[in-house]
Amino acid sequence: MPIEMTVNGEARRSAADPMTPLIDVLRDEFHLTGAKPVCREGFCGACTVLVDGEPLVACLTPAALVEGREIRTVEGLSAGGRLNPLQTRLVEHDAVQCGMCFPGMVVTLTHFLAQTPRPSRDQVRAALTGNACRCTGYERIVAAALDVAGV
Amino acid sequence: MTASPSFYAASSLSAALDALAERGPQGAPLAGGTWIMRAPIRHEPLKPAYVGLDGVPELGRIEETDGILSIGAGVTHARLAEAVAGRPELRVLAEAAGRSANPAIRRAATVGGNLCTTDFAAADLVPALLCLDAEVEIASRGGTERLPLAAFLSLRHSLEPGRLLTRVFVPRSGAVSAHARLPLRKAGDYPTAIVSLSVTRDTAGRIAQARVAVGSVETVARRWTRLEAALVGTPLCGEQAHRAATELADEFAGRDGVEAPGWYRVSVLPVLVRRAVIALH
Repeated sequence: MPIEMTVNGEARRSAADPMTPLIDVLRDEFHLTGAKPVCREGFCGACTVLVDGEPLVACLTPAALVEGREIRTVEGLSAGGRLNPLQTRLVEHDAVQCGMCFPGMVVTLTHFLAQTPRPSRDQVRAALTGNACRCTGYERIVAAALDVAGV
Repeated sequence: MTASPSFYAASSLSAALDALAERGPQGAPLAGGTWIMRAPIRHEPLKPAYVGLDGVPELGRIEETDGILSIGAGVTHARLAEAVAGRPELRVLAEAAGRSANPAIRRAATVGGNLCTTDFAAADLVPALLCLDAEVEIASRGGTERLPLAAFLSLRHSLEPGRLLTRVFVPRSGAVSAHARLPLRKAGDYPTAIVSLSVTRDTAGRIAQARVAVGSVETVARRWTRLEAALVGTPLCGEQAHRAATELADEFAGRDGVEAPGWYRVSVLPVLVRRAVIALH
């Protein structure tokens, strides 16, 4: 039975088996390769996507659980081809990294800043607990997030 | 290669219990999926059939009646942390739910999953709920039963198919509580050891009753009753509690793991006890 969902505003239908990780549906079936399957155990956050507006790790989310839900991937964060405020600040701070952990960080922080408009530095760092960068490049990303918030 | 598992999304508790009973040993419940989805990494086979609990409204409720907090098994760590925030006697639970794993996992992983995952020794909610004297409700097509969490922990590995943990009950009290955990990094990985503490004090400020639970040190979390007895009658003093814990810690046989050897888990217990006591000040 196909699994129906909305991905970046578009109705999509997946033929995947129900226990297929969402990350594989997004990448292999829908060719949205922004989210990365890296650790596949929920530690690194490189596969983070929004499910009904909440960041989840797509590696541990079975396709069956997103039936009828709205998925937004990093590709869907810049509406109408315009970068969102966080993306703009990340560019300005030269915080864009190799692309492995980075898409997950953008998804996590976009949601976090919407929920917490004036965060402390520690809150930004705590929000990134589940987004691991192997190059230890966090400082400019945290600075960009604080800049969006104007703190 | 074996066929991929089937998935049935239950939309009510009775539908879920029927589906689990029909599938018998071939089936298992799936809530947030954060443990089951890692079966391939653990080189474990998936079950032939899963019953999704995500759409069961009964399991998502948090209610309070007659001084007893009832937490649905499908409540996520994130929701639980939010729901119990700001209540001193439940602080242990807010911290266990709000600091385990990472934010994305806390949005998916459920209370029921945390309590039912037999192989997960580092579960944060288990010691937290043990020190709160929690009970659990087990439902099946034949009816429901209620038992202390500690009793559930000893029989959960042999729970017959078709039986489902549906709710956790936490009695409200005048106690104060704290959760001390030691992950190797500041956050984001498993705690090597956990001490959950709940105490009530007498009018002189001395400990009248203490409940201490230790998680992640042995394969299953348990109460540390000898330390509880040693704390009664003492002031809320971190150093004194540290000394008592040091004397009694040899009753634990720490489990060896890739992140820490067993002796290390035991050796940090007195410090975690001290931290938990100091957090109550």
